[in-house]
Amino acid sequence: MEFGWDKEHVAYRDELLLFLEDELPGHWHGAAAVLGSEENTAYSRRFAGLLAERGWLTPHWLAAHGGVEASPWMLAVLGEELWSRGEPRGPQYMNVNWIGPSIVAHGTPEQQERYLPPIAAGNVVWCQGFSEPDSGTDLASLRTRAEIDGDEYVVNGTKIWTSYGDVAEHCYLLVRTDPDAERHRGISVLLVDMPTPGLEIATIPGVVGEHSFNELVFTDVRVPVANGLGPENEGWAVVREALSYERVGSPRWARAAYVLDEAIAAGLDDGRPIDDVAVQAIGVAKTACEAARILCYRVIDERARNLPSSANANIARAAMVQAERLVAEACLAIDGLEVLVYGSRSDHQLRKSLAAGVAAGTYEVQLNLISRLHLGLPKG
Amino acid sequence: MDFFVNDDQQAVLDAMGTLLGRHAGPSRLRHLGGDQPAYDRDLDKHLETAGFLDLAPAGSRNRLDAALVQEAISVALGSSATSYRLLVAPSLSVPVMGPMAIVADGHRGPVRFGADADAVVMVSETDVRLAVPPPTSDRTKSRLGWPVGRFSSAVQGSKLDGVDPQEVVSWLRVALAVEIVGALRFATDLTVRFVMDRKQFDRPIGSFQAVQHGLAECAIATEGARWLALEAAEIGSPEAACTALAHAVEATRVVFARTHQYSGAMGFTQEYDLHLATMRLVALRAEAEAFGRPATTSALQRWALA
Repeated sequence: MEFGWDKEHVAYRDELLLFLEDELPGHWHGAAAVLGSEENTAYSRRFAGLLAERGWLTPHWLAAHGGVEASPWMLAVLGEELWSRGEPRGPQYMNVNWIGPSIVAHGTPEQQERYLPPIAAGNVVWCQGFSEPDSGTDLASLRTRAEIDGDEYVVNGTKIWTSYGDVAEHCYLLVRTDPDAERHRGISVLLVDMPTPGLEIATIPGVVGEHSFNELVFTDVRVPVANGLGPENEGWAVVREALSYERVGSPRWARAAYVLDEAIAAGLDDGRPIDDVAVQAIGVAKTACEAARILCYRVIDERARNLPSSANANIARAAMVQAERLVAEACLAIDGLEVLVYGSRSDHQLRKSLAAGVAAGTYEVQLNLISRLHLGLPKG
Repeated sequence: MDFFVNDDQQAVLDAMGTLLGRHAGPSRLRHLGGDQPAYDRDLDKHLETAGFLDLAPAGSRNRLDAALVQEAISVALGSSATSYRLLVAPSLSVPVMGPMAIVADGHRGPVRFGADADAVVMVSETDVRLAVPPPTSDRTKSRLGWPVGRFSSAVQGSKLDGVDPQEVVSWLRVALAVEIVGALRFATDLTVRFVMDRKQFDRPIGSFQAVQHGLAECAIATEGARWLALEAAEIGSPEAACTALAHAVEATRVVFARTHQYSGAMGFTQEYDLHLATMRLVALRAEAEAFGRPATTSALQRWALA
């Protein structure tokens, strides 16, 4: 047992920091900026290209697809430093971390040749067509239907809460191909080009920031059968595997810790007094970020050893949600009436923390899994 | 980064498990007096003979092995000052072997092990003093799971040259964090077993989601506190120590309230073991806060907020 970083990862972090200090200022609005604005999405394409040039966009990929098979620890350093600056990869984040690896694992040679190079170069945007109006946490209840007609699928249904749906060139879409099978068995993954006839996209304004969600309505959308990813009707296994590559997902704690830092610096710069209650809230938020950090590292260690995924990942995810919320509390204590200003750090973090317990799996589902897998309690 | 114990650490923990199975645990604590126990000199003697109390050499910066051993002792509800011996004593310039107490400068009130200590360490802003023997003391009636005493006069002692008071407080914080983690684990594990066994409405109460979610949050708090404490024991930095203790103190709030809530009326009986761990959490938290509120101190260690 030991908790230090290897020399190679320290060196990598130093190199990465120099690059970020050089590149980000003036281009990127940092952790307090709004993810999903047109300006930031455009910048994320350019930024991902710069990462790709250095081999830092897809370092964990197999060499055959342009990666260097980097360790999960190198990837952790990359994730931490980028998330703590507001994730300038923007939508590229999901491309490189699980859509790409999923195509590597299950794609045909033709699919790999077509889809992987643009992802590895950082100049394409994907969205994920998972949630539906009636299928959120219970994703396997999804009803968007794909029926075979010749060498095409005909897709009908609605996807919702689709980030980047309005700007994406492709959608990683979950559909039901066998409505009579047991619900986990009749699901397939389709790689859908966008825009495409019959697909209507409507924006749903959010309160989380400029980042908006989208509703994707499919009416007789025709998708070549050749665009199915992995075996038909086994999409549930394909997508579960895809999502397990990351295990803990985005290192939200790193961003939260950075926002806390910025809020304190701004408060001090403005000469606002930080009273005892705020100092205590800052300490509690800081320690929550630190706890989330070490719990994430434990999961990365399991990943680096190729151990099966465990409830430790759910513990880490839940700890990150707690940290996000406590950082919002601390920012409110620091900012006082400054929260009235739209875009202030406290206003921003409050909105961010709203999404923390919902996006990418709800907090309550994490608690359910911890109860069952970690504590051994029976299913209710 | 490596979150798994190595073979040597595993061997120590296995041997500790055997020893603690014989000489510690809830029944031993009850034999000593339960929530108002006597100091367990026998446990100290067995641990000493087996060589488990000298795992961190004097002046060592990495005290992880000592922390792992203390965690096991705390899970087994040991009733002695092993955490000070294992984690704090290596920062003193002279060996301190027997039962000891640690007090902040000017403190005249109740103190853990105050009536049993052969030595008292007094920590002030500027120096660390050692009193052997300590001033006379009276045993204080306390039901928070520890032997408690009160010194009849302020601790004077003699100054320990070259000993940094900040370092001593820092290792005391690690020691308390590890002790808290042990008690958190005992309380959470016991309650998980309880809610599996206890049936209402024809089903274990642990199958109700309301109970599951509360216990899952106990697990999150306990795991976070545990790994921060072990990390702090390895890296030995004052900020890591304070952060670990702050998180452990936050965890006591979650675990105390919930484990008692889900244990129903059993949770406030003498016969049920829960209080043996949870009441200790209250005492440990009070001791932690006697040396500066941990979350506040942790914030001030990182940022100049004054």
